Amino acid sequence: MTDANTDVIQGTLDMLILKTLSLEPMHGFGIARRVEQISRGVFKVNPGSLLTALQRLERAGWLDAEWRRTENSRRAKFYTLTRTGRKQLEEETADWTRRASAIARLLKAEG
Amino acid sequence: MSLWRQLTYGLRSLMNRAKHDRDVAEEVEQYFEEAEAAWRSRGLSAKDARRAARLEAGTMAVAKERVNSYGWENTARSFLSDLRFAGRQLLKHKVFTATATLTLALGIGANAAIFTVIQSVLLSPLPYKNADKLAVLQTHWTNSGHTKVGVTGPDGVDVRDQAKSLEAVSLYSGGNLGVQLRDHSVYTVVTFVDANFARVFSLQPIAGRLLTDGDAHHAALVSEEFARDHFGSTQAAVGQMLQVENEPVEIVGVLPGNFDFPAQTRVWEAFPLRPESEERTAFNYKAVARLRSSATFQTAETELLGISRRLETAYPGANRNKQILARPVHEALTGDTRPTLLFLWAAVALILLIACVNVTHLQLVRAMERQRELAIRRALGSSSRQVIQPVILESLLVSLVGGAAGVLLAFPAVRVLVAMAPKELPRMNEIHLNGWVLGFTLALSVLTALASSILPALKAARVDPAETLKQDASRGMTRQGATTLRDGLVIAEVAATLVLAVGAALLLHTMMALAERDMGYQTRQLLVVDADAPAHSEQDAHRAVRQFHDIFLQLAAVPGVTQVAGIMGLPTGAYGSNGYYTVTGAGPVDVNHSPYADFSVASPGYFRAMGIPVKRGRDFSAQDTDQSPFVAVISESLAKQSFGNTDPLGKQVQCGLDSDKWMTVVGVVGDVRQDSPAANPGPTLYMPMTQHPYYGNQIHIVLRTEVQPLTVMNAVRETIARVNPFIAMRFTTMDAMVNTSIATERFRAALISSFAGVGLLLAMLGVYGTMAYTVAQRTFEIGVRMAFGAERGAILGGVLAHAAKLACYGIALGLGLSLMLARLVTSMLVGVRPTDPISLCVASLLLLLTALAAALAPGWRATHVDPMVALRSA
Repeated sequence: MTDANTDVIQGTLDMLILKTLSLEPMHGFGIARRVEQISRGVFKVNPGSLLTALQRLERAGWLDAEWRRTENSRRAKFYTLTRTGRKQLEEETADWTRRASAIARLLKAEG
Repeated sequence: MSLWRQLTYGLRSLMNRAKHDRDVAEEVEQYFEEAEAAWRSRGLSAKDARRAARLEAGTMAVAKERVNSYGWENTARSFLSDLRFAGRQLLKHKVFTATATLTLALGIGANAAIFTVIQSVLLSPLPYKNADKLAVLQTHWTNSGHTKVGVTGPDGVDVRDQAKSLEAVSLYSGGNLGVQLRDHSVYTVVTFVDANFARVFSLQPIAGRLLTDGDAHHAALVSEEFARDHFGSTQAAVGQMLQVENEPVEIVGVLPGNFDFPAQTRVWEAFPLRPESEERTAFNYKAVARLRSSATFQTAETELLGISRRLETAYPGANRNKQILARPVHEALTGDTRPTLLFLWAAVALILLIACVNVTHLQLVRAMERQRELAIRRALGSSSRQVIQPVILESLLVSLVGGAAGVLLAFPAVRVLVAMAPKELPRMNEIHLNGWVLGFTLALSVLTALASSILPALKAARVDPAETLKQDASRGMTRQGATTLRDGLVIAEVAATLVLAVGAALLLHTMMALAERDMGYQTRQLLVVDADAPAHSEQDAHRAVRQFHDIFLQLAAVPGVTQVAGIMGLPTGAYGSNGYYTVTGAGPVDVNHSPYADFSVASPGYFRAMGIPVKRGRDFSAQDTDQSPFVAVISESLAKQSFGNTDPLGKQVQCGLDSDKWMTVVGVVGDVRQDSPAANPGPTLYMPMTQHPYYGNQIHIVLRTEVQPLTVMNAVRETIARVNPFIAMRFTTMDAMVNTSIATERFRAALISSFAGVGLLLAMLGVYGTMAYTVAQRTFEIGVRMAFGAERGAILGGVLAHAAKLACYGIALGLGLSLMLARLVTSMLVGVRPTDPISLCVASLLLLLTALAAALAPGWRATHVDPMVALRSA
C-alpha cells in the first residue's frame, strides 16, 4: 500500500457504492475496482468493509442482490440499485455537495 | 420495508446458518479470485498475483469474519448459544434444576393464585358502565363515630332532590325472600328498587323493558339466570307473573347475567320513588348514586356535608350529629375483604422470598462448584459481562420454567381458593386467571431470577483467577466469606418462615378459641328452617303468625322432634333487626346516647328450644296476644346496660321496630353471641311474634331433635306444606350456620396454615441443602478428624449444633419481626393476643425441630465418612 492510497472517508462508502451501482449492476470486486479507477487510486476499498456495507445496504432496501454468472462464467453476487436506493443516492449526493462546498468555502476563506 | 428486510434477512441467516456462511464464503472467494485475476492481467505470475491481492486486501478469513459478524442476528446467536449452554448445564445438574424449579413453582404458583383473587376482586374495575362514578350512601354519626350503610327514606329523598353533584340516586331494600311462581315457590334475593336504579347503573335489559315509577308494586325485572331456570328462556320470562310478599308482580324485563347488584339478586321489584317509610330514624333503605361526570367524590362529599347540616338544623331531633357520606361502590363492596386479601398477599410474598433465598442458596452452591471454570474463563480473558451472562441466563431459565409450572399450579389453586372462600367474598364469579395475572407472573419470574442470581452473579464477577485456582474447597480450604453468606441466607429463611408460622399459629389458636366459645345457646341437634309465609297486609301477617303457631304444634308431634319454636333474629341467621330503645323506671337516661340492642321476635318456647336459660321472670306464653298488654323479654346485658342493679321485671321498654307501644319486661334470659362466635355477647330485646306480626311471617323455625337433625327434614317439609303450600322453605342446622358464620376466619386460618406448611417445607429444603453442602465440603476435614479418633457422636453433634445455632439466630430474628408485625393482625384475632406466648413457642419449636430434622440426614452422612476413602480421594 502506498501513502497516496487512502481508506474511504468515513461515512462516504455507502454513497460511493450507490453511485457506482447507479450505472449498472455489479459484483463486489467490480465495485471496488470501479471506485479505485474513478478516484484514480485515491480510494482503496477493503473487501471486509465493502462486503459488510453491501449487506447493510441490501437490508436497508437500497440494493437488491442476486447470484449470476460473470463474463468468465464465475458465479458471483450481483447488486442492483433499487428505487429507494436511487432516492437515497440523490439525498446523499445533495447532502455531500452542500457539505463539501461549505468546507471548500471555509478553506478558501482561511487561505 | 427496510425493517422488514432486517428482520427477514436476519431470521433467514439465523435459520439457515450454513447457507448464509456458504454465500458469504463464496462472495469473498469470488472477490479475491477477481482481484488475483486483475493482477495477473497486469502481467504478474499466479503466485505473485495472489501475494499482491493478499497484500492489498488482507486475508480472506478476516474478510469473511467481518462480513459474517454483521447483523443483529449475531447478538441473538451468541445469546442463544449462551442459553443453550445454560440449558445443557441445567440438564446436567438435574437435582439442582429440579429443586430450584419446584421451589420457584411453589412460590410463584401461590403468588399467582392469590394475585388472581386480588386482581379480580380488588383491582379490576367493576363490570358496570363508568363504575368509578358509582357511589354508595352511608350515614355517619359524628359523635359516636358509628357508620351505617344506608339512609332513612326521607334523608335519601332530600339528598336525591338537593345534591347537584349526583346525577341519579336510587333507594333500595330487600333481601332473601320467598317468591311464589305458578306451581312452586323459591327462596331468592329480591331487591325492591325505585325507577332510578336502572339510571344509576346505566342498565340495558336483554329482554323486555326497564321499570318506571308507574310500575311500583306491579312489575319486576329478573336476572338472566332466574329467567332461564324458571321459564326456559329470557323471552319466555317477560309477561310472566310472580308473587312477592303476597303481591302479584309481572316480569317486564330481564337483566343480563353479569349484572349482580346487590349481590345474588335475582328479582328486582319496582317500588315507588317516594319511600314508604317516612321516619328519619328508620334505616330501611340502602342507596346507590351516580356522580355527574363533572363531579368528583370530593365535591360530592362537600355538597352532602352541606345538605346534612341543613337537615340537622331542620330536624334537630332525628338528624342530630348525622352526616350522609358518599363512598365509591368499589370500596364499599370490597372494603371488608381488603385486609384479608392483603394479609394473604403478604403471606405469599413471604413464601416467594423464602423460595428466592432457597434458590439463591442453590445458585451459590452451583457457583462455588463452577468457580474453577469461571476462574479459567477469567484467566483466558472473558469480560465480567461474559462471565455473568451465563449465570443470570441460567437463573432466568430456572425462574421461567418455575413460573410456567407455577401458573399451572395456580389453576387448581384458584379453584380450591374459590371453593373455600366465604360466601361474603364479593365478585366471586369474576375470579379467573387472565392476562394481568400472566403478566404479573412473568414479571415475578424475571424479578425472582434477578433477585436470586444477583449474589451469585456478583460473586462470579469478582472471581479472582489466581486466588481461586489456588484454593481447593474439597480439601477444606475455603474462604470464610462464603460460609458466612450461606449461613446468613439460612437465618433469613428461618426468620421469614417463623413469621408465617407465628401467623398460622395465631389464627389457628383463634379458630380453637372460637370453636370452644359458649354461644349462649346449644348448637347441637338443632334443625333450622328458613320459612317465609307470603303476607302483604296486616291481616295477612296475623294469619301467617296464627298459621305458624299451628305449624309449631304439628311439628312438635313429628317423631324425633322434642321442641319447636319460631324466631326472627336467630343468631347467625339471615333475618334480624337492631336499633335504639328507650326505657322508663330506672337507670340514668342519656338523651345523646340512646341504648342500642338487637331486636328479636320469638314464639313461646324459643328459649327452651334453643337452650337459652331464663334467668328471671317468664317466657312468652299463649296468653300474650295482640289484644293483651305488650310484653318483652330482655337479655342479661340489656338488663345491666339499662337497669343496672335494679330489678328489671315490670319495667317499661319501647323500641322503634314496628310499633311505639310501651312493653313490660316480663323476663330476663342469658346473653347470646348474635352474629358469630367472634361477636361479644350483647344486649337483645325479645318480643312475642303475636304482638309484632309484621316480623312474624318471615322467620326461622328451630327444632330441637333427638335424632340427627337432617333426618326429620322430609317430615318437617311435608307438615309445613300441608298447612300452607306457599311457604318457601330452606333447611339447615344450627351447627352449619355457626360454622358458616366463621367462614372468613376459617378461610384465613386454613390458607395461612398451608402457606406456613409450604414455608416450612422450603425452609427444611434450605437447611438440608446448606448442611449437606457443608458436610460434602468438609468431607476431607472430617476424614482427618476421624483418622485421629474423633467420635461419631461428636461429629453428628457438630453438624446438628451448627444447624441449631443457625435456626436459633433465625428464630430470634423471626420473633422480633413477628412482634413488630403482630399489630397488623390484631383485628383478625379473637380471644388471642398478638403476642400470645403459646403460639410463639409452638412456632419456634416447630422451626427448631424442622431445622434439626433437615440437618439429620447430612449429619448421619458425616458420621459415615470413611477416613481412608476421604483422604485418598482428595
